[in-house]
Amino acid sequence: MWPEAPATVVRLTGVGKTFGDRIAVEGLDFRLARGDILGLVGANGGGKTTTLRMLAGLVTPDSGDGELLGAPLGPHARPLPTSARRRLGYMAQATSLYGELTVGENLRFHAEARGLGSDAATAAALRFGLGPRLADAAATLSGGWARRAHFAAAVLHGPELLLLDEPTAGLDIVTRRELWGWIADLAAAGTAIIVSTHDLAEVERLPRLLFYDQGRVHGPLTPAALRHRAGTASVEDAVAALAARP
Amino acid sequence: MSRIHAPILALARAETLRLLRSRVTLSLLVTVPVLQLLLFGLAIDPTGARLPVAIAGAASPGHDAAREALAKEPGLRLVADGPAGSARVAVATGTAILGIELGATAAEPPQIIVDGSNPALTAAAEARLAARYWQAVAGQSILGAAAEPPRVVRLGNPEARADWPFLAGLIGVTVMIGMVMLGSLSLAREREGGQWETLRTLPFGPATIIAGKLLPWTLLGSLQGTLVLAAAVTLFGVPAPPATIALLALLPLFAATHLLIGFAIAARARTQLAALQGAVAFYLPAMLLSGFLYPAETLPAWAARLGALFPLTPMVAAARGALLQGRPAISVLAAGLPMLVVALVAAAAALHALHRERG
Repeated sequence: MWPEAPATVVRLTGVGKTFGDRIAVEGLDFRLARGDILGLVGANGGGKTTTLRMLAGLVTPDSGDGELLGAPLGPHARPLPTSARRRLGYMAQATSLYGELTVGENLRFHAEARGLGSDAATAAALRFGLGPRLADAAATLSGGWARRAHFAAAVLHGPELLLLDEPTAGLDIVTRRELWGWIADLAAAGTAIIVSTHDLAEVERLPRLLFYDQGRVHGPLTPAALRHRAGTASVEDAVAALAARP
Repeated sequence: MSRIHAPILALARAETLRLLRSRVTLSLLVTVPVLQLLLFGLAIDPTGARLPVAIAGAASPGHDAAREALAKEPGLRLVADGPAGSARVAVATGTAILGIELGATAAEPPQIIVDGSNPALTAAAEARLAARYWQAVAGQSILGAAAEPPRVVRLGNPEARADWPFLAGLIGVTVMIGMVMLGSLSLAREREGGQWETLRTLPFGPATIIAGKLLPWTLLGSLQGTLVLAAAVTLFGVPAPPATIALLALLPLFAATHLLIGFAIAARARTQLAALQGAVAFYLPAMLLSGFLYPAETLPAWAARLGALFPLTPMVAAARGALLQGRPAISVLAAGLPMLVVALVAAAAALHALHRERG
């Protein structure tokens, strides 16, 4: 799909970020190759969103170094270049569709903003089942439809790296499973995916996790390793137990 | 406490705490009145104007007496003294606001040429000149050799309609307020709504975002200005000489300049309320110091210099020049130069702030 793309999509070594005196993230070390999925789990305020924002080029790390889609990443690196952003998909926590535009118009905007034709928007609408709501203003969509449309907008260009910040928050079980299915499909097609989530039942199926504890990052580790570390039977219990430790 | 009063008091308490903890709201409550006090108290003095006046006519003992009398007039400032016909030219080209063409002979009454673009400013001076003339008549000076009243010629606004200068200036004021508000609030709204974050991850930079937003809104601002102009002409009889086309050609630049100012405000404002505060803090002094409400001649030098920094100042002058003073198109278009400078500075400020936005 991307013949010239390197196998390593993201590599971080000791990356961290502080806001004033508060350590938002420290000790971020991992490597992600095409087709990998990495889950970010932990209590709210642990640093998951800051990690994703650093990777999306929205926040500059103030320690460590790394590489993202071939571009350097670190305190002294220049902003993420256009060539890297062209291969990046980012879905923030807040639905960022234009409320006044219809779903179709929003998808078309995202396609054209990435230099693609409206065909890409149509294809994404079909792929993610948005056909019935294409003509609806985004502001009128329910939470589930809005997340679905937001997801479609973030991936319609076939990104090499997809950053998802709590994509399933507030969704019903059917839509949640549908969305996790799409995430798995994208990874199978070669997209590297980093997903922050509180959907811990689904996280059991992910190959690798980073556990966030008030800015400190543990991992990557497998769900089994996380369960073992906490001495619990599920990742959900492990996160609850580890997050409650003083 | 009754069941009715308790929720009212609870809401009032919560609202008070919110107000006290919102620095933006508090500074809005303080900044705007302070700005108004400073401007109205220190800068605006409509009675203190010293209007530039030109006098013309052949040298003669009688005319010299008239010149001496004019020099002593406290509300006037002699800026040109030349041969017959030159006072009219001085008013037509904007060098003077009032011109006095002395008669060729002692029997001929003087002609007073008035810049019609601002009757509110010139009315008092006209009255003073008339009074001086009739004093001279009584004193049998050269001015008073004829018993006929001086003939007043108002260039561009023969009926001295006070609404015309305001309507001409309103074209710029309407576009300025609309575009500064749109520019600042829309970016701030996108930031609060979450769209801004996604925009910043797309494969283009802030310059592209600004250019993309600028295009439709510039058209909108130009259309808005054109509609105000059309209404002024059709409903209120404001003249539309050929230089009106030059005025219309200025509108896109004027609108874009204010959008860029709005973007520069929004690039620093974290919330819509802060953006609104910034927009008000910009357009309030612009309206007061641009010559729209109070002529530049009534402002102290520092205030006039400050006023010259606002793009509204050349726009008001261009609109009045084109519609009421018969200025040529090239002189109207020249108002675009200071606007262009402000536009470039605002664009640089907005881009600088947006590039620095990464935390």
